[in-house]
Amino acid sequence: MMNNRLVKESIANVIKKNISIIGLLVFVVGGAVILSLIPPQILKNIIDNSLVPRKRDGLRTLAVAYMAVLLLIGIFDFMKEAVLTVLGQKITKEIRLKMMEKLEKINAVFFSANESGTVVSRFTNDVDAVSSMFTGGIVGMIIDCFKIIGIVVSIWVFSGKLGMVSLISLPVIYGITRLFQRRMLTAQIDNRSLVGKVNNHLAESLKNIRMIKSYSKEDYMEENYAGLLLRNFQTVEKVNFYDSIFSPIIQLTRAAVIAVIVILSSKQPSYLGISLGMVAASIELISNLFAPIETLGMELQNIQQAFSGIHRVNEFYHEPEDDPKNSQLKAEAIVPRREEVSVSFHDLTFHYDEGTDVLQSINLRIHPGEKATFVGRTGVGKSTLFKLIMGILKPAKGSITINGIDVYTIPNSEKRKLFGFVDQSFHMIKGTVAEQISLQDKSITRGQIQNALDFVGLADYVASLENGLDTQVNGDSLFSQGQKQLLSIARAIVTNPPILLLDEITAGLDSITEEKIVSVLQKAGDTYTILSISHRLSTMIASDTVVILENGKVKNSGSPEMLLQNDDWYRSHIRLEKLTWDEVDLGMKLI
Amino acid sequence: MAKLKIEPMKQADRIINYWKKEKFVVACIVMFGLTFNGSIILGPIYQGKLIDAIVRGDSLSAVGKLAAIYVALIGMIQFLRYFKRFYIRRFANNTSATMRLMLYNNIMHKSTEELDNENSGNLMTRAIGDVDLCVEGMRKFTTEIFDTGVLMASYLISLLVYDIKITVLSILFIPGAMVLAEKLKNVIYKYTIAFRSKSSYITGITYDAIENAMLYRASGMEAQNRVAYNTELEDLQSKAIKANIFENSMQPIYNVIAMLGVISVIYLGGTKVIDGGWTIGQFSTYLIMFAAMAQKASKAAKLFNSVQKSQVSWKRIQPYLAEYRSKDRTLNIDVNNTRLSVEKLGFCYPSGKERIIENIGFQGEQGEIIGVTGAIASGKSTLGLALLGLYPYMGSIQIDGRELQDYSEYERSRMISFMGHKPELLSDTLYNNITLGNERSAQEIGSVLRDVCFDTDLKEMPDGVNTLVGNGGIRLSGGQQARIALARTLINKSKIIILDDPFSAVDMETEEKIIANLKSSYQMSLIILISHRLTIFPQITRILLIHNDLIHNDKTVESGTHEELMKSSELYAEIFNLQCTAGGADDE
Repeated sequence: MMNNRLVKESIANVIKKNISIIGLLVFVVGGAVILSLIPPQILKNIIDNSLVPRKRDGLRTLAVAYMAVLLLIGIFDFMKEAVLTVLGQKITKEIRLKMMEKLEKINAVFFSANESGTVVSRFTNDVDAVSSMFTGGIVGMIIDCFKIIGIVVSIWVFSGKLGMVSLISLPVIYGITRLFQRRMLTAQIDNRSLVGKVNNHLAESLKNIRMIKSYSKEDYMEENYAGLLLRNFQTVEKVNFYDSIFSPIIQLTRAAVIAVIVILSSKQPSYLGISLGMVAASIELISNLFAPIETLGMELQNIQQAFSGIHRVNEFYHEPEDDPKNSQLKAEAIVPRREEVSVSFHDLTFHYDEGTDVLQSINLRIHPGEKATFVGRTGVGKSTLFKLIMGILKPAKGSITINGIDVYTIPNSEKRKLFGFVDQSFHMIKGTVAEQISLQDKSITRGQIQNALDFVGLADYVASLENGLDTQVNGDSLFSQGQKQLLSIARAIVTNPPILLLDEITAGLDSITEEKIVSVLQKAGDTYTILSISHRLSTMIASDTVVILENGKVKNSGSPEMLLQNDDWYRSHIRLEKLTWDEVDLGMKLI
Repeated sequence: MAKLKIEPMKQADRIINYWKKEKFVVACIVMFGLTFNGSIILGPIYQGKLIDAIVRGDSLSAVGKLAAIYVALIGMIQFLRYFKRFYIRRFANNTSATMRLMLYNNIMHKSTEELDNENSGNLMTRAIGDVDLCVEGMRKFTTEIFDTGVLMASYLISLLVYDIKITVLSILFIPGAMVLAEKLKNVIYKYTIAFRSKSSYITGITYDAIENAMLYRASGMEAQNRVAYNTELEDLQSKAIKANIFENSMQPIYNVIAMLGVISVIYLGGTKVIDGGWTIGQFSTYLIMFAAMAQKASKAAKLFNSVQKSQVSWKRIQPYLAEYRSKDRTLNIDVNNTRLSVEKLGFCYPSGKERIIENIGFQGEQGEIIGVTGAIASGKSTLGLALLGLYPYMGSIQIDGRELQDYSEYERSRMISFMGHKPELLSDTLYNNITLGNERSAQEIGSVLRDVCFDTDLKEMPDGVNTLVGNGGIRLSGGQQARIALARTLINKSKIIILDDPFSAVDMETEEKIIANLKSSYQMSLIILISHRLTIFPQITRILLIHNDLIHNDKTVESGTHEELMKSSELYAEIFNLQCTAGGADDE
C-alpha cells in the first residue's frame, strides 16, 4: 500500500530506533495480561484449601501473595501506560518532523492553494489522531485480545463446559456492545454536525456584529442561536440515552451470566462438577471479561475514525515536490561582481492550473544596475513573476536566468545572497527585533543587522526600545505600518544581495511614510539592481524602465517619459494617482 | 420529554443557580442517586448468598429461585442507575445550553466599542471550550456527590455491619490513596500547563513556518528552521510524556495503595470463616465490596482534576454571564417626513486620537440622493459610520430636529439602513438574509430583488429565494453578494439609507439601472451614496466632495450638484473626466 507511506514509515522508524522500548512493551503487556489472571486463582486456593477445609495454615501466605500480585499488576499497568505514552509521543514527533521535511520540498503552488490553518491542523489534529490510533487503537486491541484469550483459557482449565459457556457468551456480549456503540456513534455524528452549526453561528455573529447591531437584530440572531441550541440539546439527549443505558445493560448481562454459572454448578445437577473455589474464581474471571470487550469495540471505532487522519497526512506526503536543485551552484560564482548582474526572461510561460496561463511568453532583459518597474492591474501575475525570478516557482515553459544560470536550479540556501525580497506586507516572525531581520540565520552577524537598521533609518528607534535589538516582538504594537516596511527592507538588504525585488511595498501607507521609504530606496539605487512591482505609478521609485503587464503579456515597456507620450492608459493612471483617488477599484472596473 | 425551549435565567454569574434552576431534574438526580447508591450493596450480598446456597447444597429450584431474585435485584438497581445517569446528563445538557445562550446574549449586547476591544478568538474559546469544560466539571461533581459520597458511605456502613475490626484495619489505606491523588493534583496541573503551553507554542511555530513559507524559502532558511523545529519537538515530547504519565497512568498506583488493606481482609476474614463467624458467601460479599470501594477511591484523582479544570474555566466565563438583556423596543419616530441636518460633525475612533473627519455639514431630505466622495482616506466611509450612530461623535447630527444620540439604538436601527464594504451575509437562505426574520410577502421580496437587478440571477436558482448562500455567502459571486446585501438594506425603505461603495463588484450597466430604480422606488427615503466612482453622479441630487489633505492640512468640504461641481471644483472635474477616459480607453 503506497498510500500509507508516511505513517507506516514513521511508525516503522520509531520501532526500529526504540527496539528496547518495544521489548519492554512486549514484556510489560505480557506480564500485565498473565498477572491479571492470577488473583482469581489465589482466590480459588483460599476457598478450596483454607476456607472449605477450615485450615488456618497458609492463609496468611495466600493473603500476602494476593496483595503482592495486585501490587505487581499495579506496577505493570503503570509501566504499560507509561511505555505506550512514550511510544505515542515518539511517533507523533517522528511524523511531524517528516512532514516538516516534506514541507521544505513541497511545490510552492501548495501554499497559495491551501490555507495555513488547514495545513496546521494536518500537523496537529491529524497527527495526534494517528498516534493515538496506534497506542490506544492497535496496541490496545492486541492487549484486549490477549486478555480475553487468557480469561477464556483460565476458565477452560477449571472446566471445559464452563469454558464453552464463556466462549458462547463472548459473541453475545460483543454483539450487545457493538449495537450500542454503533447507535451511539450515529447519534454522536448527528450531534457533531450540530455543534459545528452552533459554533459557526457564533463565529458568524461576531464577524457580522456591526450589521446585526445596525439593524437591531440581536434578538433575531439570538432566536436562531436558541433554535440551534435546542436542536443540539435534542441530539445530545439522544447520545445521553445510549450513554446512560449501556452500562446498566452490561451489568444486568453480567448478573445473568453469574446466575447461569451458579445454577449450573449447584450440587443437584452438578453439571459442571467444579469446586466452590472454582465457582468463585470463575465468577470473578467472567466479570473481568466484560471490560476488554467493551474497550475492544471502542478501539475498533477509534481506528476507523483515525483513518481519515491517516489519509490526510499521507495525502500531504504525496503533494508534488520541487525538482532537486544543483547543489554545486554558489552565489559568489553566479554573481562574482555585483555590478555585473543581468536578469533575462526567455519565452517565460507560467500557469497554476493547466490551460489558464498567468504569464505568457515573456521575453525581457534587465541590465546590470537597471531599475525596472512592473505595473498592471491586480491579478495580472506580477507577484507570480517575482516568485519565478527567485526560482521558487517552476515555469511551465521557458526560463529566467541570472548571468546565464537558470534560477530554478539554484539551491534555496544561496538565494539570500542573490536576492533581497520585500513583500507587500511585513511578515512578522516569532522572535526578537534582531531576528526579524536575520530570520534567525546564524551566519548573519549583529554588525550586519546594525548596518541594515542604520541604512533604513530605524537604528535610533530600535535603540530606544527596552532591550534594543533583543526586544521580543509580541503582537502588533511595537512597530508602525511604515516601520514594519522599513524592517522588511532591512531584512532584505542585510545580506547585501545584488538584486532587490520590491512587491507593492508602499501599498496602504500614508504619503509621509511612503516618501521616507522611497528615499531609503533611492539611496540603495546606486548599488542594487532593483525590480519592483507597483500598481501606483506615481510613487514608484525613479525607474529606467516601466513594464506594463496585461493578460499575462507585456503590453508595453519603455522609459517612463516614452510611455507618458504614447500610452493612454499610463497617462490617465498617472494623473488619477497624483490625485490619490482609489486606483485599485478603478483597475477592477476596467474589465 | 426534553423541554422545548431554551430560556434565559437570572443571576447566571452565580454557579449555584444552575442547580437551583433545574429543580425537577435535580430532584430526580437526588432521588435516583440516593436509591441507586443505597441499594447497590444488595448485589454483592446476593452474590454471597448464591455461593452459600451452593455450599449448603440447596435444591436446584431453591438455587434457581435465589438466582432469579439476584438477577431481578440487579435489574432494579441498574434501572435506578440508568435514571440517575440520564438525569445527570440532562442536567449537564440543560446547563450547557443555558450557559451558551446567556453568553451569547451578553456578547451580542456589548457595545460596539467593547466588542472592538475583544478578541473574537478568545470569545469563541470562552463560548465553546470553556463552557464544555465547566459543564463537564459540574456534571462530574454532581455525579460524585452520590457515586463517591453516598456510595462509599453505604459500602462503609455495610462493611462495618459485617465486621467492625476488619473494616477499621483494612480501610486505613483508602484515604491514603485519595490524599495522594489530591496532593499530586497540583503537580499534575503544573505539568499539564507546561505541556499545553509548549503544545500551543509548537502550533504557533508550525503556523509561522507555513504562513511565512515563501519568506523562509526565498531566504533559504527552511533547513535551519527544521533543525530548530526538531529541538522544540524533543522538548514537547518530554513535556507531553511527563504530563500524560502523571495524568493518565497513575490510577493503577492509587488502586494498589487503596487495596493494601486486602491482606487483613483475606487473613482476618478467612480466619473468621474458619472459626465459623462468617459463611464463605459472606466472605466473598465482603471482599467484593471492599474491592469496589478501593476502586472508587482510586478514581478520585480524575474527579479532582476535572473539578479543578472546571473552576479555571468558570472563572474565565463568569464575567460574560451578566444579566440577560434585550433592547428597548419603544418607538417614537416620524415615519413620513425625513430631514437630516449635519453640522460641524467630527469623528474619531475610540482607539485612535486623531480625528478622521472634521467640521462636516450638510442637509438632506426624503427623495434625495446625496453622493459623498473624496480621495483615499479622506474619511468618506467614516462619515457613513458616524451617521449610523454606533460610535460617539462630535458636533451635531439631527434627524427630524432631534439629535441622533438621543434616539435609542432601536429607533436608530428603524430609521437608518446601512450597507458597508463587506456584504456581511449569514449562512442562511436568500430570503432570511434579506428579511432578517421579518415576514415579507413574495411581492415585496420580488420587488426589492428587481430593484437590485437580482431577478435574472434568481431565475437561474432552482430553490429561488430559499437558496442557501453558504458560509459568508460563498456560493454567490461577489456581485451577487453585494446585491443581496443591498436588497437587505433597501427592503425596509428606511428613512435614511446609507450605501458605502455598494457597486464595487457590480458592472456599470447594472449600476446605472440600480440607481434609476433607487430614484423611482425610494422617494420616501433619503439615500446617502458613498463612492469614489463618479460616473453615476450626474444622475443624483447633490454631491459632497471631502478634502482631507494631511500635508496641506486641507479638510474642507465642497458641495453642489454634479454640474455645479464640474464648474467649481477642478479636482472633481478632472477626476470625472479621467475616470470616463480611463474607463473608456480600456473598454475594448
